[in-house]
Amino acid sequence: MLLKNKILCLSGLVMLSAAMGAQAKEVVLRALMEDVPETHIIEQMLPQFEQETGIKVQFEKIGYGDMHDKLVAQLIAPQSYYNLLEVDFLWAGEFPTANWLTDLTPLVKKSKFDTRAFIPSTVSLLNHDPEKLYILPMYNYSMGLIYRTDLLTDKTVAQLYQDATQKTLALPKTLEDYVTLAKFIKQKQGIAGAAMQGQRGDPNSMEFSNYLFAAGGEYLDGKNQVVLNSPAGKQALTLYVDAIKNAAQDGALSATLDDTMRLMCSGKAFSMITYWWMLPQLDNQKACPAVAGKLALAPMPGGHGESGGWGWGIPKNVSPEEKQAAWTFIQWVQSKHVETERALQGHAPVRADVYKDPAVLAKFPYYQTAEQVVATGKSFPIFTYSAQYEDVLGTQLSQVAGGNGSIDAALAESATQLEKLLKK
Amino acid sequence: MLTKTSAVCLRKPKPGVAGFDRFRLTGWAFASPGLLALAVVLGFPVIYALMLAFSSFTLMRPALAPFAGIDNFTSVLSDKAFWSAAWLTVKYSLITVAGEFIVGLGIALMLNRVVKTRPLYFALLTIPMAMSPVCVGLIWRMLLQPNLGIVNHLLESWGWPRVDWLGSPTLAFLTMAFIDIWQQMSFVVLILAAGLAALPREPYEAAEMDGARHWQQFWYITLPMLRPVAAITVVIQLINELRTYDLPYVLTRGGPGTATEVLSFFAYRRAFLGLSINEGAAAALALLLIVLAMTVVFFAMLERRR
Repeated sequence: MLLKNKILCLSGLVMLSAAMGAQAKEVVLRALMEDVPETHIIEQMLPQFEQETGIKVQFEKIGYGDMHDKLVAQLIAPQSYYNLLEVDFLWAGEFPTANWLTDLTPLVKKSKFDTRAFIPSTVSLLNHDPEKLYILPMYNYSMGLIYRTDLLTDKTVAQLYQDATQKTLALPKTLEDYVTLAKFIKQKQGIAGAAMQGQRGDPNSMEFSNYLFAAGGEYLDGKNQVVLNSPAGKQALTLYVDAIKNAAQDGALSATLDDTMRLMCSGKAFSMITYWWMLPQLDNQKACPAVAGKLALAPMPGGHGESGGWGWGIPKNVSPEEKQAAWTFIQWVQSKHVETERALQGHAPVRADVYKDPAVLAKFPYYQTAEQVVATGKSFPIFTYSAQYEDVLGTQLSQVAGGNGSIDAALAESATQLEKLLKK
Repeated sequence: MLTKTSAVCLRKPKPGVAGFDRFRLTGWAFASPGLLALAVVLGFPVIYALMLAFSSFTLMRPALAPFAGIDNFTSVLSDKAFWSAAWLTVKYSLITVAGEFIVGLGIALMLNRVVKTRPLYFALLTIPMAMSPVCVGLIWRMLLQPNLGIVNHLLESWGWPRVDWLGSPTLAFLTMAFIDIWQQMSFVVLILAAGLAALPREPYEAAEMDGARHWQQFWYITLPMLRPVAAITVVIQLINELRTYDLPYVLTRGGPGTATEVLSFFAYRRAFLGLSINEGAAAALALLLIVLAMTVVFFAMLERRR
């Protein structure tokens, strides 16, 4: 009896140690991902990757607003829980400066991964040191105008618009025209002229950037000097405040991207300035029957919108095995065939060859417009304190749109704070 | 008459090592594990926060040295946003604690008269308290969504206009306070109900015989006798409210503008968006001082009235 027990114990221990050994060798990739369609598209394809490589991947999906803090806590720890990073372009100044990311250059060279296929602007948006590659583009989020074609072609609406403004109803070419149209729709149609994401911070900073670029303004000039406080800046902020007050939905000052999506989807808004890849999500009979087939995409009125992007990175504070597994995943997910597969489900490509893929263009003809949106997009200032500047600018925008303070003062303060943070 | 055991306990203890008698040493021995745990979980974070607040530790340069003196405090205290957040925090705490106490006391008094279904009411009342503030914030955010939320839908169906609950700078603050009162009130109800149940019956019987009315009984008997329990409840809630962070984070992110930016949110912004953990720690210590000051003032007022 005693001998039997001993044998049982011994075999149990052997099995346990074998299992532990196997577990030690197995790398599980863990990534904190923004809960957006792009993530869902990749998530659906993960079993394919696991089958091909044997590497398991886990996505933890959360809202954008919580991502930065959650990542920073891991990146400053001795060992990061996340061994694969989804990095926003707004953090592309901060993360490498803080020495939190692995330089991907040696991995690229060793694996002979061809990075030339990527649209150069999507790479430079995320990497500021020409000698090093810390972040490989994942998808772009250039912003454009998504609008209701049924309202824009409605004869009654056209007549009313003509009577009210003495102008022909058409897709607006300037920012001023867009705000006028959005205000008119709200007044006469009883729905929001613009679904706006006015919550302080990332939502309103990104939205305002479109107004700024569309009005011909800039944050910085070619010499990195702050030029925000300019006549174009003033016009942009004036029109932004006007739109929030007179064209947007009720509660726009507390609205996020999700709120605007739901509003547009319910058919209670005429337009929204948003990421171009929101179009397939909204123009979807199953998800948004109220607006499916009635939507179109256009570059931002005025010619330029905000352009951003996400990329893949690998934390410095993870094991070499985890780094290798993460790089295997990055190569796979950004390869031509996987990106094309993703694009066929609505992904916003970063490889030029995917935009020209016949299958992609056949399924989504508006990808031609999307390429235009990407090509004309301009970037929010990227530096170490970009995330803080978003908050600073967002506070000023929110205050002035809420009726506190003047446009001149808000613009001056936003410019001063940008100068201060650039020097910090 | 004393029993044998109690007589032994009351016997004068013999003097022991280094001036400590055996009785005291036993007490310390029993208390030491708890004190050690407290020192680790309470003492260490406070000391570390102090070190951070006087250091040059930022996320870009994560090192305590060089010593920064009072630079971080000067930087935080010279920021107008700090004083605005501090004032808002005090105002918010006073409004929410007053609301929780008044409504909570009313419900506790009503429950004091209920006998049969009291456990059911208590069970229902503990639901908000058992929910995490983040869940509460998300649920209310959906309910109060201005265009698609159920609250405005109901208002409209009754012929009333829609309300911009979280998008209006003036209303957002009050809405947040209301949600906080809704959640925290159940704690106040439970404590006050327990206090009311423990009150002796004799003073009420005497008052009834003397012909005292209900409000007179409440004013001259219930309130004075309930004061110790009420005071503790108010202090606990005051400390809770001064530290509020979850609700503004989930509901408004401190906006619109800075309409709901409380001090803990200000400290978070400094630490994680400004990447200056040292300044965040300085702001958090300033908040700690405000909490301590308000608690001391409250107890001093109570002592004076006793």
